[in-house]
Amino acid sequence: MFALRRWWTRHALKAGMVTLAVSSAWLLRASDGALIYETYHWVTRPLQAGLSREQQFENSYILELQQRIVELENQNRALQTLEAYEDTITAEGLRATVIGRGADHWWQHAILNRGSRSGVAVGYVVTGPGGLVGRVVAVSPSTSRVLLVSDPTSRVGAKVSRSRAMGVVRGQANNRVVMEFFEKLPDVNAGDVIVTSSYSRLFPRDIPLGRIESIDLTKSPAPEAVIQLSSPLPVLEWAVIHPFAPQETIDAPVLPGTDPQNGLVPDGDGAGL
Amino acid sequence: MNPSMRVSSLPLWRRPWVLNSAVTVASVAACLLLLPSRIPGMQLLGVSPHWLLIWVVAWSIRRTQWEAAIAGLVLGLLQDAMTSPDPTHTLSLIVVGVLTARLQKQRYMQEDIVSVALIVFAMAVIAETVLALQISFHQLISMDSLYPPLGKIWLFHQRIALSSAILSSLWAPALYYPLNRWWDRYSLKS
Repeated sequence: MFALRRWWTRHALKAGMVTLAVSSAWLLRASDGALIYETYHWVTRPLQAGLSREQQFENSYILELQQRIVELENQNRALQTLEAYEDTITAEGLRATVIGRGADHWWQHAILNRGSRSGVAVGYVVTGPGGLVGRVVAVSPSTSRVLLVSDPTSRVGAKVSRSRAMGVVRGQANNRVVMEFFEKLPDVNAGDVIVTSSYSRLFPRDIPLGRIESIDLTKSPAPEAVIQLSSPLPVLEWAVIHPFAPQETIDAPVLPGTDPQNGLVPDGDGAGL
Repeated sequence: MNPSMRVSSLPLWRRPWVLNSAVTVASVAACLLLLPSRIPGMQLLGVSPHWLLIWVVAWSIRRTQWEAAIAGLVLGLLQDAMTSPDPTHTLSLIVVGVLTARLQKQRYMQEDIVSVALIVFAMAVIAETVLALQISFHQLISMDSLYPPLGKIWLFHQRIALSSAILSSLWAPALYYPLNRWWDRYSLKS
Protein backbone atom coordinates (compact mmCIF):
# COMPACT_ATOMS: atom_id res chain seq x y z
CA MET A 1 0.00 0.00 0.00
CA PHE A 2 2.77 2.35 0.96
CA ALA A 3 4.77 1.40 -2.12
CA LEU A 4 1.74 2.08 -4.25
CA ARG A 5 1.29 5.47 -2.65
CA ARG A 6 4.94 6.36 -3.12
CA TRP A 7 4.72 5.31 -6.73
CA TRP A 8 1.65 7.51 -7.11
CA THR A 9 3.25 10.60 -5.58
CA ARG A 10 6.25 10.15 -7.82
CA HIS A 11 4.55 9.24 -11.07
CA ALA A 12 1.10 10.81 -10.76
CA LEU A 13 1.88 13.50 -13.32
CA LYS A 14 3.42 11.08 -15.79
CA ALA A 15 0.59 8.57 -15.46
CA GLY A 16 -1.95 11.33 -15.88
CA MET A 17 -0.22 12.58 -19.01
CA VAL A 18 -0.06 9.12 -20.56
CA THR A 19 -3.72 8.43 -19.82
CA LEU A 20 -4.68 11.81 -21.23
CA ALA A 21 -2.64 11.32 -24.39
CA VAL A 22 -3.90 7.80 -25.08
CA SER A 23 -7.53 8.58 -24.29
CA SER A 24 -7.60 11.75 -26.38
CA ALA A 25 -5.97 9.94 -29.29
CA TRP A 26 -8.59 7.20 -28.93
CA LEU A 27 -11.40 9.76 -28.85
CA LEU A 28 -10.07 11.38 -32.02
CA ARG A 29 -9.91 7.99 -33.66
CA ALA A 30 -13.47 7.20 -32.63
CA SER A 31 -14.62 10.44 -34.24
CA ASP A 32 -12.73 9.67 -37.49
CA GLY A 33 -10.34 12.55 -36.87
CA ALA A 34 -13.08 15.13 -37.36
CA LEU A 35 -11.36 17.61 -35.07
CA ILE A 36 -8.05 17.33 -36.96
CA TYR A 37 -9.71 17.85 -40.31
CA GLU A 38 -11.73 20.78 -38.94
CA THR A 39 -8.50 22.40 -37.78
CA TYR A 40 -6.87 21.59 -41.10
CA HIS A 41 -9.79 23.25 -42.85
CA TRP A 42 -9.46 26.45 -40.84
CA VAL A 43 -5.66 26.55 -41.01
CA THR A 44 -5.54 26.09 -44.79
CA ARG A 45 -8.45 28.43 -45.36
CA PRO A 46 -6.30 31.35 -46.58
CA LEU A 47 -4.64 28.97 -49.04
CA GLN A 48 -7.91 27.80 -50.53
CA ALA A 49 -7.64 30.59 -53.04
CA GLY A 50 -10.32 31.86 -55.33
CA LEU A 51 -10.26 31.35 -59.05
CA SER A 52 -7.67 32.79 -61.39
CA ARG A 53 -8.71 34.63 -64.54
CA GLU A 54 -7.86 31.61 -66.67
CA GLN A 55 -9.95 29.36 -64.46
CA GLN A 56 -12.85 31.76 -64.67
CA PHE A 57 -12.78 31.57 -68.46
CA GLU A 58 -12.51 27.83 -68.26
CA ASN A 59 -15.38 27.71 -65.82
CA SER A 60 -17.61 29.77 -68.04
CA TYR A 61 -16.76 27.40 -70.89
CA ILE A 62 -17.65 24.48 -68.66
CA LEU A 63 -20.86 26.22 -67.68
CA GLU A 64 -21.74 26.62 -71.33
CA LEU A 65 -21.12 22.94 -71.93
CA GLN A 66 -23.16 22.05 -68.87
CA GLN A 67 -26.04 24.14 -70.11
CA ARG A 68 -25.87 22.39 -73.44
CA ILE A 69 -25.95 19.08 -71.60
CA VAL A 70 -28.98 20.21 -69.66
CA GLU A 71 -30.67 21.11 -72.91
CA LEU A 72 -29.74 17.77 -74.44
CA GLU A 73 -30.93 15.95 -71.36
CA ASN A 74 -34.22 17.75 -71.54
CA GLN A 75 -34.62 16.81 -75.17
CA ASN A 76 -33.62 13.28 -74.30
CA ARG A 77 -36.19 13.16 -71.54
CA ALA A 78 -38.87 14.46 -73.84
CA LEU A 79 -38.00 11.73 -76.30
CA GLN A 80 -37.91 9.14 -73.58
CA THR A 81 -41.39 10.00 -72.35
CA LEU A 82 -42.58 8.70 -75.71
CA GLU A 83 -41.50 5.29 -74.48
CA ALA A 84 -41.84 4.15 -70.89
CA TYR A 85 -38.17 4.52 -70.08
CA GLU A 86 -36.79 4.79 -66.60
CA ASP A 87 -35.11 8.16 -66.39
CA THR A 88 -32.05 8.89 -64.36
CA ILE A 89 -32.41 11.95 -62.23
CA THR A 90 -29.49 14.29 -62.73
CA ALA A 91 -29.52 16.37 -59.58
CA GLU A 92 -27.47 19.48 -59.00
CA GLY A 93 -24.25 18.68 -57.23
CA LEU A 94 -22.37 20.58 -54.59
CA ARG A 95 -19.06 22.06 -55.69
CA ALA A 96 -16.12 21.55 -53.38
CA THR A 97 -12.40 22.30 -53.43
CA VAL A 98 -9.80 19.61 -52.83
CA ILE A 99 -7.86 20.85 -49.79
CA GLY A 100 -5.82 17.78 -48.91
CA ARG A 101 -4.80 14.26 -49.74
CA GLY A 102 -4.58 10.97 -47.90
CA ALA A 103 -2.76 11.14 -44.56
CA ASP A 104 -0.69 8.07 -45.29
CA HIS A 105 0.79 6.40 -48.32
CA TRP A 106 -1.40 3.36 -48.68
CA TRP A 107 -4.75 5.06 -49.02
CA GLN A 108 -5.79 7.19 -51.94
CA HIS A 109 -7.95 9.77 -50.23
CA ALA A 110 -8.87 13.35 -51.01
CA ILE A 111 -10.13 15.92 -48.48
CA LEU A 112 -12.88 18.24 -49.72
CA ASN A 113 -13.90 21.48 -48.06
CA ARG A 114 -17.61 20.67 -47.73
CA GLY A 115 -18.96 18.59 -44.90
CA SER A 116 -22.07 17.71 -42.98
CA ARG A 117 -22.90 21.40 -42.53
CA SER A 118 -23.39 21.60 -46.31
CA GLY A 119 -25.47 18.43 -46.21
CA VAL A 120 -22.80 15.96 -47.31
CA ALA A 121 -23.21 12.44 -45.95
CA VAL A 122 -21.25 9.22 -46.15
CA GLY A 123 -21.91 7.36 -49.39
CA TYR A 124 -22.34 10.44 -51.57
CA VAL A 125 -20.71 10.18 -54.96
CA VAL A 126 -17.99 12.58 -56.08
CA THR A 127 -17.33 13.48 -59.69
CA GLY A 128 -14.91 15.93 -61.16
CA PRO A 129 -13.68 17.19 -64.48
CA GLY A 130 -13.37 13.99 -66.49
CA GLY A 131 -15.87 11.82 -64.66
CA LEU A 132 -16.00 9.68 -61.55
CA VAL A 133 -13.64 10.60 -58.70
CA GLY A 134 -14.79 8.47 -55.78
CA ARG A 135 -17.22 8.39 -52.88
CA VAL A 136 -17.43 10.01 -49.48
CA VAL A 137 -16.29 7.71 -46.67
CA ALA A 138 -16.19 10.14 -43.71
CA VAL A 139 -17.50 13.62 -42.98
CA SER A 140 -16.75 16.29 -40.40
CA PRO A 141 -18.76 19.53 -40.11
CA SER A 142 -16.80 21.28 -42.84
CA THR A 143 -14.70 18.65 -44.57
CA SER A 144 -15.34 15.30 -46.16
CA ARG A 145 -12.97 12.47 -46.97
CA VAL A 146 -13.28 10.82 -50.36
CA LEU A 147 -12.04 7.33 -51.23
CA LEU A 148 -10.74 7.77 -54.77
CA VAL A 149 -11.45 5.20 -57.47
CA SER A 150 -7.68 4.76 -57.78
CA ASP A 151 -7.46 3.31 -54.25
CA PRO A 152 -6.52 -0.37 -54.29
CA THR A 153 -9.53 -1.23 -52.09
CA SER A 154 -12.01 0.62 -54.27
CA ARG A 155 -14.39 -1.43 -56.43
CA VAL A 156 -16.67 0.04 -59.07
CA GLY A 157 -19.12 -1.90 -61.19
CA ALA A 158 -18.50 -0.75 -64.75
CA LYS A 159 -19.42 -1.51 -68.32
CA VAL A 160 -18.08 -0.82 -71.78
CA SER A 161 -20.31 1.88 -73.18
CA ARG A 162 -20.28 0.49 -76.72
CA SER A 163 -20.84 -3.22 -76.17
CA ARG A 164 -22.31 -3.32 -72.62
CA ALA A 165 -19.62 -5.80 -71.51
CA MET A 166 -19.71 -5.75 -67.70
CA GLY A 167 -16.90 -5.86 -65.20
CA VAL A 168 -15.40 -4.55 -62.00
CA VAL A 169 -12.87 -1.72 -61.86
CA ARG A 170 -10.10 -1.94 -59.27
CA GLY A 171 -7.74 0.86 -58.30
CA GLN A 172 -3.98 0.58 -58.57
CA ALA A 173 -2.80 3.63 -56.63
CA ASN A 174 -2.04 5.56 -59.82
CA ASN A 175 -4.00 7.07 -62.66
CA ARG A 176 -4.57 3.71 -64.33
CA VAL A 177 -7.15 1.27 -63.05
CA VAL A 178 -7.75 -2.36 -63.96
CA MET A 179 -11.09 -3.68 -65.15
CA GLU A 180 -11.89 -7.36 -64.70
CA PHE A 181 -14.57 -8.60 -67.04
CA PHE A 182 -17.25 -11.07 -66.05
CA GLU A 183 -17.29 -12.79 -69.42
CA LYS A 184 -14.54 -14.96 -70.83
CA LEU A 185 -14.54 -13.24 -74.21
CA PRO A 186 -15.84 -9.70 -73.75
CA ASP A 187 -16.46 -7.50 -76.75
CA VAL A 188 -13.91 -4.74 -76.07
CA ASN A 189 -11.41 -2.72 -78.03
CA ALA A 190 -8.68 -0.36 -77.00
CA GLY A 191 -10.13 3.14 -76.83
CA ASP A 192 -13.60 2.06 -75.70
CA VAL A 193 -15.26 4.33 -73.16
CA ILE A 194 -15.95 2.85 -69.70
CA VAL A 195 -18.89 4.07 -67.61
CA THR A 196 -20.30 2.90 -64.28
CA SER A 197 -22.84 0.14 -64.68
CA SER A 198 -26.29 -0.13 -63.20
CA TYR A 199 -25.13 -3.17 -61.23
CA SER A 200 -22.92 -0.95 -59.13
CA ARG A 201 -24.37 -0.61 -55.66
CA LEU A 202 -22.22 2.28 -54.52
CA PHE A 203 -22.35 4.47 -57.61
CA PRO A 204 -25.14 5.70 -59.87
CA ARG A 205 -24.97 4.40 -63.41
CA ASP A 206 -23.56 6.00 -66.55
CA ILE A 207 -20.85 8.15 -65.00
CA PRO A 208 -17.81 8.18 -67.29
CA LEU A 209 -14.66 6.62 -65.86
CA GLY A 210 -12.07 6.52 -68.64
CA ARG A 211 -10.89 4.77 -71.76
CA ILE A 212 -9.41 1.34 -72.31
CA GLU A 213 -5.68 1.55 -72.88
CA SER A 214 -4.76 -2.11 -73.30
CA ILE A 215 -6.48 -5.47 -73.02
CA ASP A 216 -5.17 -8.79 -71.74
CA LEU A 217 -7.68 -11.47 -72.74
CA THR A 218 -5.45 -14.34 -71.63
CA LYS A 219 -5.42 -13.21 -68.03
CA SER A 220 -6.72 -15.80 -65.55
CA PRO A 221 -9.24 -16.04 -63.89
CA ALA A 222 -10.87 -13.20 -65.82
CA PRO A 223 -9.78 -11.12 -68.78
CA GLU A 224 -8.48 -7.71 -67.76
CA ALA A 225 -8.15 -4.31 -69.33
CA VAL A 226 -6.05 -1.38 -68.20
CA ILE A 227 -8.06 1.82 -68.13
CA GLN A 228 -6.70 5.31 -68.25
CA LEU A 229 -8.87 7.36 -65.90
CA SER A 230 -10.20 10.47 -67.57
CA SER A 231 -10.21 12.59 -64.40
CA PRO A 232 -6.74 13.79 -63.41
CA LEU A 233 -6.82 12.46 -59.84
CA PRO A 234 -3.24 13.43 -58.82
CA VAL A 235 -3.78 17.09 -59.74
CA LEU A 236 -7.48 17.34 -58.97
CA GLU A 237 -8.40 20.76 -57.60
CA TRP A 238 -12.14 20.73 -57.35
CA ALA A 239 -14.92 18.21 -57.47
CA VAL A 240 -18.70 17.98 -57.36
CA ILE A 241 -20.50 16.02 -54.63
CA HIS A 242 -23.74 14.34 -55.66
CA PRO A 243 -26.29 13.03 -53.17
CA PHE A 244 -26.62 9.28 -53.55
CA ALA A 245 -28.04 6.55 -51.37
CA PRO A 246 -25.96 3.38 -51.76
CA GLN A 247 -27.92 0.23 -52.50
CA GLU A 248 -27.63 -1.91 -49.40
CA THR A 249 -30.03 -4.75 -50.11
CA ILE A 250 -28.32 -6.96 -52.63
CA ASP A 251 -29.95 -10.25 -51.93
CA ALA A 252 -33.27 -9.54 -53.57
CA PRO A 253 -33.42 -11.84 -56.60
CA VAL A 254 -33.50 -9.96 -59.86
CA LEU A 255 -35.29 -11.44 -62.83
CA PRO A 256 -34.13 -10.66 -66.32
CA GLY A 257 -36.73 -8.20 -67.47
CA THR A 258 -37.57 -6.39 -70.61
CA ASP A 259 -34.75 -3.94 -70.18
CA PRO A 260 -31.36 -5.65 -70.30
CA GLN A 261 -29.96 -2.94 -68.04
CA ASN A 262 -32.45 -3.31 -65.23
CA GLY A 263 -33.96 -6.60 -64.30
CA LEU A 264 -37.37 -6.62 -62.66
CA VAL A 265 -37.63 -7.31 -58.96
CA PRO A 266 -40.37 -9.92 -58.41
CA ASP A 267 -42.08 -7.89 -55.63
CA GLY A 268 -43.51 -5.72 -58.33
CA ASP A 269 -42.21 -2.38 -57.12
CA GLY A 270 -40.68 -1.77 -60.49
CA ALA A 271 -37.04 -1.86 -61.30
CA GLY A 272 -35.15 -2.09 -58.06
CA LEU A 273 -32.20 -0.01 -59.08
CA MET B 1 12.83 16.32 -7.36
CA ASN B 2 9.55 17.04 -9.00
CA PRO B 3 10.06 20.25 -10.98
CA SER B 4 6.54 21.42 -10.28
CA MET B 5 7.31 21.58 -6.54
CA ARG B 6 10.23 23.92 -6.91
CA VAL B 7 8.55 26.32 -9.25
CA SER B 8 5.06 26.20 -7.83
CA SER B 9 5.22 29.95 -7.24
CA LEU B 10 5.06 30.52 -10.98
CA PRO B 11 1.67 30.86 -12.65
CA LEU B 12 0.50 27.57 -14.14
CA TRP B 13 1.14 28.44 -17.77
CA ARG B 14 4.79 29.37 -17.10
CA ARG B 15 5.76 26.20 -15.29
CA PRO B 16 8.30 24.22 -17.30
CA TRP B 17 6.28 21.03 -17.55
CA VAL B 18 3.23 22.90 -18.80
CA LEU B 19 5.33 24.71 -21.40
CA ASN B 20 7.01 21.48 -22.40
CA SER B 21 3.72 19.62 -22.81
CA ALA B 22 2.33 22.52 -24.80
CA VAL B 23 5.31 22.53 -27.17
CA THR B 24 5.15 18.74 -27.54
CA VAL B 25 1.42 18.71 -28.24
CA ALA B 26 1.77 21.64 -30.66
CA SER B 27 4.51 19.82 -32.58
CA VAL B 28 2.30 16.74 -32.91
CA ALA B 29 -0.58 18.92 -34.07
CA ALA B 30 1.67 20.56 -36.66
CA CYS B 31 2.72 17.13 -37.95
CA LEU B 32 -0.93 16.03 -38.16
CA LEU B 33 -1.85 19.12 -40.15
CA LEU B 34 1.09 18.57 -42.51
CA LEU B 35 0.00 14.99 -43.27
CA PRO B 36 -2.88 15.67 -45.70
CA SER B 37 -1.17 18.59 -47.40
CA ARG B 38 0.84 18.06 -50.56
CA ILE B 39 3.09 21.07 -50.72
CA PRO B 40 5.04 21.35 -54.01
CA GLY B 41 8.60 20.08 -53.49
CA MET B 42 7.49 17.89 -50.62
CA GLN B 43 6.25 14.96 -52.66
CA LEU B 44 7.76 12.20 -54.70
CA LEU B 45 5.56 9.89 -56.81
CA GLY B 46 2.53 11.18 -54.93
CA VAL B 47 4.09 10.29 -51.57
CA SER B 48 4.87 12.93 -48.96
CA PRO B 49 7.17 12.74 -45.91
CA HIS B 50 5.89 10.61 -43.03
CA TRP B 51 5.86 13.38 -40.43
CA LEU B 52 4.53 11.25 -37.59
CA LEU B 53 7.34 8.75 -38.11
CA ILE B 54 9.93 11.53 -37.97
CA TRP B 55 8.32 12.74 -34.76
CA VAL B 56 8.36 9.27 -33.19
CA VAL B 57 12.04 8.84 -34.10
CA ALA B 58 12.93 12.27 -32.71
CA TRP B 59 11.04 11.46 -29.50
CA SER B 60 12.43 7.94 -29.05
CA ILE B 61 16.11 8.62 -29.71
CA ARG B 62 16.86 9.54 -26.10
CA ARG B 63 14.00 7.93 -24.25
CA THR B 64 13.15 4.53 -22.88
CA GLN B 65 11.37 1.83 -24.82
CA TRP B 66 8.17 2.31 -22.85
CA GLU B 67 7.99 6.01 -23.55
CA ALA B 68 8.71 5.31 -27.21
CA ALA B 69 5.99 2.65 -27.38
CA ILE B 70 3.41 4.97 -25.81
CA ALA B 71 4.30 7.73 -28.27
CA GLY B 72 3.97 5.24 -31.11
CA LEU B 73 0.58 4.10 -29.82
CA VAL B 74 -0.79 7.65 -29.48
CA LEU B 75 0.46 8.84 -32.85
CA GLY B 76 -0.65 5.61 -34.50
CA LEU B 77 -4.17 6.12 -33.14
CA LEU B 78 -4.12 9.68 -34.46
CA GLN B 79 -3.10 8.53 -37.91
CA ASP B 80 -5.77 5.84 -37.80
CA ALA B 81 -8.24 8.62 -37.08
CA MET B 82 -7.17 10.43 -40.20
CA THR B 83 -7.15 7.46 -42.56
CA SER B 84 -8.75 4.18 -41.65
CA PRO B 85 -8.23 1.94 -38.62
CA ASP B 86 -7.67 -1.15 -40.74
CA PRO B 87 -4.73 -1.81 -41.19
CA THR B 88 -3.73 0.02 -38.03
CA HIS B 89 -0.78 2.40 -37.97
CA THR B 90 -0.24 1.94 -34.23
CA LEU B 91 1.71 -1.25 -34.80
CA SER B 92 4.21 0.21 -37.25
CA LEU B 93 4.81 3.34 -35.16
CA ILE B 94 5.23 1.32 -31.95
CA VAL B 95 7.78 -0.90 -33.69
CA VAL B 96 9.60 2.18 -34.97
CA GLY B 97 9.63 3.80 -31.53
CA VAL B 98 10.87 0.71 -29.68
CA LEU B 99 13.57 -0.04 -32.26
CA THR B 100 14.80 3.56 -32.20
CA ALA B 101 14.90 3.55 -28.40
CA ARG B 102 16.80 0.25 -28.41
CA LEU B 103 19.43 1.53 -30.83
CA GLN B 104 21.36 3.08 -27.92
CA LYS B 105 22.59 5.76 -30.19
CA GLN B 106 24.89 7.38 -27.66
CA ARG B 107 26.98 4.22 -27.60
CA TYR B 108 27.26 3.32 -31.26
CA MET B 109 26.64 6.45 -33.25
CA GLN B 110 27.38 10.10 -33.03
CA GLU B 111 24.41 12.29 -32.45
CA ASP B 112 24.21 14.41 -35.53
CA ILE B 113 21.73 15.22 -38.21
CA VAL B 114 23.15 12.73 -40.70
CA SER B 115 22.76 9.76 -38.38
CA VAL B 116 19.21 10.85 -37.53
CA ALA B 117 18.45 11.01 -41.25
CA LEU B 118 19.86 7.49 -41.63
CA ILE B 119 17.76 6.17 -38.75
CA VAL B 120 14.63 7.78 -40.23
CA PHE B 121 15.43 6.19 -43.61
CA ALA B 122 15.63 2.71 -42.11
CA MET B 123 12.60 3.24 -39.87
CA ALA B 124 10.45 4.47 -42.77
CA VAL B 125 11.20 1.27 -44.66
CA ILE B 126 10.40 -0.78 -41.53
CA ALA B 127 7.13 1.08 -40.89
CA GLU B 128 5.87 0.55 -44.44
CA THR B 129 6.94 -3.09 -44.26
CA VAL B 130 4.91 -3.61 -41.08
CA LEU B 131 1.87 -2.11 -42.82
CA ALA B 132 2.44 -4.24 -45.93
CA LEU B 133 2.75 -7.35 -43.73
CA GLN B 134 -0.53 -6.51 -42.03
CA ILE B 135 -2.25 -6.06 -45.38
CA SER B 136 -0.77 -9.32 -46.72
CA PHE B 137 -1.88 -11.15 -43.58
CA HIS B 138 -5.38 -9.74 -43.92
CA GLN B 139 -5.43 -10.72 -47.58
CA LEU B 140 -4.35 -14.26 -46.75
CA ILE B 141 -6.79 -15.00 -43.93
CA SER B 142 -10.00 -13.43 -45.20
CA MET B 143 -11.65 -14.66 -48.36
CA ASP B 144 -13.47 -11.49 -49.37
CA SER B 145 -10.57 -9.17 -48.77
CA LEU B 146 -10.72 -5.93 -50.73
CA TYR B 147 -6.96 -5.73 -50.96
CA PRO B 148 -5.15 -6.55 -54.17
CA PRO B 149 -3.18 -9.81 -54.60
CA LEU B 150 0.10 -10.24 -52.76
CA GLY B 151 2.29 -9.46 -55.76
CA LYS B 152 0.63 -6.07 -56.18
CA ILE B 153 0.88 -5.27 -52.46
CA TRP B 154 4.63 -5.79 -52.44
CA LEU B 155 4.98 -3.83 -55.66
CA PHE B 156 3.21 -0.89 -53.95
CA HIS B 157 5.36 -1.48 -50.92
CA GLN B 158 8.58 -1.06 -52.92
CA ARG B 159 7.47 2.21 -54.41
CA ILE B 160 5.94 3.61 -51.23
CA ALA B 161 8.73 2.53 -48.89
CA LEU B 162 11.48 3.92 -51.08
CA SER B 163 9.94 7.31 -51.77
CA SER B 164 8.69 7.69 -48.20
CA ALA B 165 12.13 6.79 -46.82
CA ILE B 166 13.97 9.22 -49.09
CA LEU B 167 11.59 12.11 -48.42
CA SER B 168 11.25 11.48 -44.69
CA SER B 169 14.99 11.26 -44.16
CA LEU B 170 15.52 14.48 -46.10
CA TRP B 171 12.92 16.33 -44.04
CA ALA B 172 13.82 14.70 -40.73
CA PRO B 173 16.29 17.40 -39.57
CA ALA B 174 13.64 20.09 -40.04
CA LEU B 175 11.61 18.48 -37.26
CA TYR B 176 14.31 16.73 -35.24
CA TYR B 177 16.59 19.71 -34.75
CA PRO B 178 14.17 22.22 -33.15
CA LEU B 179 12.36 19.56 -31.13
CA ASN B 180 15.56 18.12 -29.76
CA ARG B 181 16.89 21.56 -28.90
CA TRP B 182 13.72 22.25 -26.96
CA TRP B 183 13.78 18.96 -25.04
CA ASP B 184 17.46 19.51 -24.26
CA ARG B 185 16.70 22.91 -22.80
CA TYR B 186 13.80 21.55 -20.82
CA SER B 187 15.82 18.71 -19.30
CA LEU B 188 18.59 21.16 -18.40
CA LYS B 189 16.09 23.42 -16.66
CA SER B 190 14.53 20.68 -14.60
